[in-house]
Amino acid sequence: MGGFAKNELAAKRGYTYRLTRRQLLVASSAAALAACAPAAVTPGASPSASPGKAFKLGQLLPFTGVYAELGNSMRRATELYLNQHDRKLANRPVTLVYADDANVTATGVQATQKFIDQDQVDVMMGVVPTPLAYGIRNAVHAAKLIFIDTNAGGNALTRDTTNCTPSCKSPYIFRASFSSYQISYPIGDYLSAKGTKEFFLAYANYGFGTESAADFTTGLKKNGGSTTGNVAPPLGNPDFAPFVTQIKNQPTKNVYSFFSGADAIGFIKSWNSLGLPAAGYKMYGAGFLTEQDVLKEVKELANGAITSLFWAVELDNPENKKFVADFQKQYPLLPDVFTVQLEGEVAALDEALKTLGGDTSDKDRFVKALEDVSFKSPRGDFTFDKATHNPIQDIYIREVKTQNGQTVNTISDKIAKVTDPGK
Amino acid sequence: MSFELVFQQALNGLSFGALLFILASGLSLVFGMMDVVNLAHGAFYMLGAYVALSVVQLTGSFWIAIVLAPLALGLLGLAIEPVLLRRLRGRHLDQVLLTIGLSLVIVDVIGQLWGREVRSLAAPPGLDGSVTLIGGVYPVYRLFVIAFGAALAIVMSVVYRRTKIGRLIRAGVEDAQMLGALGVDTNRLFASTFATGAALAGLAGVIAAPVFGVQPGMDTDPGLLYSLVVVVVGGLGTLSGAVAGSLLIGPADTFGKVLFQDVALAVIFAIVALVLLLKPTGLLGRIRIAR
Repeated sequence: MGGFAKNELAAKRGYTYRLTRRQLLVASSAAALAACAPAAVTPGASPSASPGKAFKLGQLLPFTGVYAELGNSMRRATELYLNQHDRKLANRPVTLVYADDANVTATGVQATQKFIDQDQVDVMMGVVPTPLAYGIRNAVHAAKLIFIDTNAGGNALTRDTTNCTPSCKSPYIFRASFSSYQISYPIGDYLSAKGTKEFFLAYANYGFGTESAADFTTGLKKNGGSTTGNVAPPLGNPDFAPFVTQIKNQPTKNVYSFFSGADAIGFIKSWNSLGLPAAGYKMYGAGFLTEQDVLKEVKELANGAITSLFWAVELDNPENKKFVADFQKQYPLLPDVFTVQLEGEVAALDEALKTLGGDTSDKDRFVKALEDVSFKSPRGDFTFDKATHNPIQDIYIREVKTQNGQTVNTISDKIAKVTDPGK
Repeated sequence: MSFELVFQQALNGLSFGALLFILASGLSLVFGMMDVVNLAHGAFYMLGAYVALSVVQLTGSFWIAIVLAPLALGLLGLAIEPVLLRRLRGRHLDQVLLTIGLSLVIVDVIGQLWGREVRSLAAPPGLDGSVTLIGGVYPVYRLFVIAFGAALAIVMSVVYRRTKIGRLIRAGVEDAQMLGALGVDTNRLFASTFATGAALAGLAGVIAAPVFGVQPGMDTDPGLLYSLVVVVVGGLGTLSGAVAGSLLIGPADTFGKVLFQDVALAVIFAIVALVLLLKPTGLLGRIRIAR
């Protein structure tokens, strides 16, 4: 159909459509490859499993725009996992289809529709910004396309909400990353239980930042804690000095913040240049405040910051040690939390496909198999909450320290098996 | 707000304004002289910051970067004007489209060469400390930015008023065609104007890097967005307009964001709207519409 239209267009413009030498080359080499492919696959496939029909995996990630590096991290994790597993999940050879959302919701929604209609992918993964996850929720739900969220942490994606506003859970939607509740509420609960009860809030003024601040406050209040005020710079704010100046001119010394990436770097640098550590102020936050992308730029300026997240490079378990070592063998850098999110996601899918013997024809069985996965991952034990499809995971309390010239998140405590409340 | 707090925020606003002036002066110059709204200005600013990043990595010196980055951007501008922009002279919309295209290409090339991670640049030794002022310590670098912005404004104003090149610029802003008829080589003049504009954007990239950071997206925010706001409010095409615009927008943005944080982004745009309503040419501008 597409080819016909092209010919028609060419004819209309007054030139005929001819096969060029390059097209001939491409076509013939593709045919040759296709002829080789089965021969290459057959020896690897075990005779008992169903034939290795290609498994189409669509990944919607940002490769351009402000979150491009997150997309790159996630692609690295995908490629690493597939390379380690013979480019197969269970017995199915994987065909990867990447799409770039460029951090534009409309572009991402279109790409999702393409996954559904044109590519007809078996499973969709990806999505960094929460608004995009909310934006595609209805489309994947209606198409009964299994979608495993890679990053977007908006609580509503895996919850029951009134009128499904702004979003709500779906049997076909899983999340392998975290909900904002999971990285914000437990640390509020933990700190107030330990006796630090008064906090000033500083957070990026957008959906995820306000959600994180609210969940942290709820956690504080559980043990009689409270907040004394807040500053909320717009997301992507260039100059943090005005906000840090406000913090410095109020008496509450403990400050809980939600910033990530460039915002986190700007916040931490201003925090130091305006002399807040010397004035006795102490920095707390959701884990993204002090992830690798930030620490490698601010280094010891972040020392003493206490944050919570479901993972850290330094996490001491055999799976993580292997993951970090393998990752560094393939890439000249440390893995970050985004690679761990993607790794968990692909591993969960792999587990589910193994229990199904690679047979994905029954959608309900596929969902059930995903719900039942349970394995040891770099972040600890990984399972999905059957009620919400959000991961049940340990949350670590981490403190930034500089050791042997490297600034890292050291694990100071663990809150076991944190489950999103789902309502 | 206590006096100490107002004083510190005023300093924050003033240093932010000084950065905006360095950023916007090049855009204003190019528009005044060539009637080109250079939408690649933000990309030039971004490129300046990344060049500085590499120079600092290679040489370890911020001061070499502050010379080399504007120079590199100047050379780029010197190449772009005759090769691309000159062909479209007089066709305003096409020129605007061309500069949008340029900015997309530059930003992507930056992504290819330097990667798409978030980076930052430290303030140079000697300026990376803090001094005690009213209400506590204050970073020396931000005071340096205020001094640098003021010095740049003075130098530019002397060049404008007292030198031959300044006379040519003022004449060009008034009527470039007449200037050509009088025997001035406007091709050379335009090429060097565009190069100067690009160099100023590069300079802004270096100076701003320790404060605003170096990351994907900086070409539009703060790059292009704030420089457009400054020149529209101050008045397109005049030096005094760029000064007035940045002195108003810097503090307004600072105080606006902390006082009305739920409508933080709207504050400066409300000012833009108000100025355009009451004085469409900007505070000190002499825009000539539909020439």
